[in-house]
Amino acid sequence: MASEAAPRRARRRFLLLPALLLALPPFLDQYQQYVVNLVLVYIPVGVGFNLVVGNLGQLAFSNVAFFGIGAYTSGILMLKLGLPWWATLPPAGIMGALAGGAASVPALRGVRSFYLAVMTLAFGELMRWSYIRLESLTGGSMGMAVPSADVFGWALATEWRKFYVFLALAAATVIATDRLLRSRIGRAFMAIKDNETAAAAMGIATSGYFVLGFAWSGFVVGIGGAMFAVLVGHLSPDSFDLIELILQFAIIMVGGLASLTGSVLGAVVITATPQIFANFPGFQELIFGLLIVLVILFLPRGLASLLARLHPVFRDQYYDG
Amino acid sequence: MLIVLPQLIVGGIATGMLYALIALSMTVVYRATTIVNFGHGDLVMAGAYAIFVFTAGLALPFLPALLLAAGLLFLLGFGLHRLLMQPIMSGPHLSLAMMALAAGNVLRGAARLEWGNETLALARPYAQTSFLLGQTVFTMDDIVTTGAVLLLLLALFCVLHLTPAGKIIQAVFQSQRGAALVGINVNAFHGVMWGTGAALGAIGGALLALTVTLSPDIGVWTLLRAFAAMTLGGFGSLGGAVIGGILLGVMEKLLGFYVSTAFIDITAYVVTILVLLVRPQGLFGRPAARRI
Repeated sequence: MASEAAPRRARRRFLLLPALLLALPPFLDQYQQYVVNLVLVYIPVGVGFNLVVGNLGQLAFSNVAFFGIGAYTSGILMLKLGLPWWATLPPAGIMGALAGGAASVPALRGVRSFYLAVMTLAFGELMRWSYIRLESLTGGSMGMAVPSADVFGWALATEWRKFYVFLALAAATVIATDRLLRSRIGRAFMAIKDNETAAAAMGIATSGYFVLGFAWSGFVVGIGGAMFAVLVGHLSPDSFDLIELILQFAIIMVGGLASLTGSVLGAVVITATPQIFANFPGFQELIFGLLIVLVILFLPRGLASLLARLHPVFRDQYYDG
Repeated sequence: MLIVLPQLIVGGIATGMLYALIALSMTVVYRATTIVNFGHGDLVMAGAYAIFVFTAGLALPFLPALLLAAGLLFLLGFGLHRLLMQPIMSGPHLSLAMMALAAGNVLRGAARLEWGNETLALARPYAQTSFLLGQTVFTMDDIVTTGAVLLLLLALFCVLHLTPAGKIIQAVFQSQRGAALVGINVNAFHGVMWGTGAALGAIGGALLALTVTLSPDIGVWTLLRAFAAMTLGGFGSLGGAVIGGILLGVMEKLLGFYVSTAFIDITAYVVTILVLLVRPQGLFGRPAARRI
């Protein structure tokens, strides 16, 4: 349709945005750069989470588990096998994808809605227990130090070097997920979310798409985990607790469910602001909780819907409205 | 090894009674409103802190403090439903679950801001003695917990089966629309049930606070165990929640002793996952009919 060609062309201009960001590092000090990098870590995390919750419409609380599995896979492979960081990215993604596949098994058995939520919540806590108990691999509750990373021999010694690698990875996950959601697969997700029975009746192999959606989510979030491992340099089970879950929920709810723009926006807003309050325990939970409550009551489609009101370019095409 | 079996079972039942009470308080809300309250654990936590404030801060005796805490939590539960849940009741499950979870987080964050760095323990209102019956030790903690929960269960049973209010509750449990048609104010009823669930949870929290150190995280801890109890007994079954809770308590003790103490922490998670995979309706639940 001709009417859609113009926004599509306009949308391409957004590819310039990461290019503009390339020039960012000289303007930031060390700490600001760290926060920007953290935002970039949470972009794939939010994108993956939003795919399952927003696009597939499943109440799955297992995202922190995927995140932790990716992070620990990367850390353990570097520490125990001496692999360079770039080589741990695919295994981290694949382990995340396997965990995603495993998390979708109950969904295949007809476990839905609250049941799926309860089950995935238990799964996440079980993983956190494993990080504590598998001491020889993970360092237990003391955590593990992640060796310094490099990309094909180019050491990620400074924050700004990490920034460029992270920017590339975050952009890649956003673009790949965008392609996925615009394809036949994305439309199948939409159909399943709207009415699973009707989707199955139309000949959509719902179970296959379930596994695919969860696995892709796990893959992307696992990559995010590997980025997180390198950024913070130290992994401990506390990083993957329920506060982390509420943070990740805040990212997709505040940003906007089922919206890629929303995931990115959410990552920026939610990750960057509370760093200021990190020294007051409890404050983050309070703020994230309040934000989610307010968003559900007054802005159900999140910040992305505000942006869409400004300019149609921001309107999501993989959500039916 | 077998000689300690009765001891383990006694300890397990006492812990299990607590799980049973909290699982029951969630089931009441679930049956009445078909919402799983993911913030319920934090209401339990709030109840525990409330009774701490009333006994330690205001120097009230235990029982009045307990009643006050239960009353306060009733209001909190009622208010949560009226202000946060009711406006989105017709929305998707996701928003309902997130709303409850987020509200719980607000409570937990507030508790952590206020008491996060302190270790608080509730003073027992009774002497910490124990009795020996054969080879088995019954501690006063076990007896009080079990007795209190049994009393509450009896009271609930009577309310549910012998009073006009119980008839209304059962009517709404059976069919919301049918209840509305015969003139029951379902919305008001939902609010009252949220309040009741929160008040029951507060009593559970008070009993819990007698034996463990208070922390903002006990809410989540109990939530996951209550989920396991509900799942095991069958989601939505009142009796199932109680029996599931007791079974879970006993299982924790047995696994902890005969296999490894490390398993005490994850019994609940493993039970939840296995039951939902193998027999999603649990022991006493009906197979869930999916809404199309």
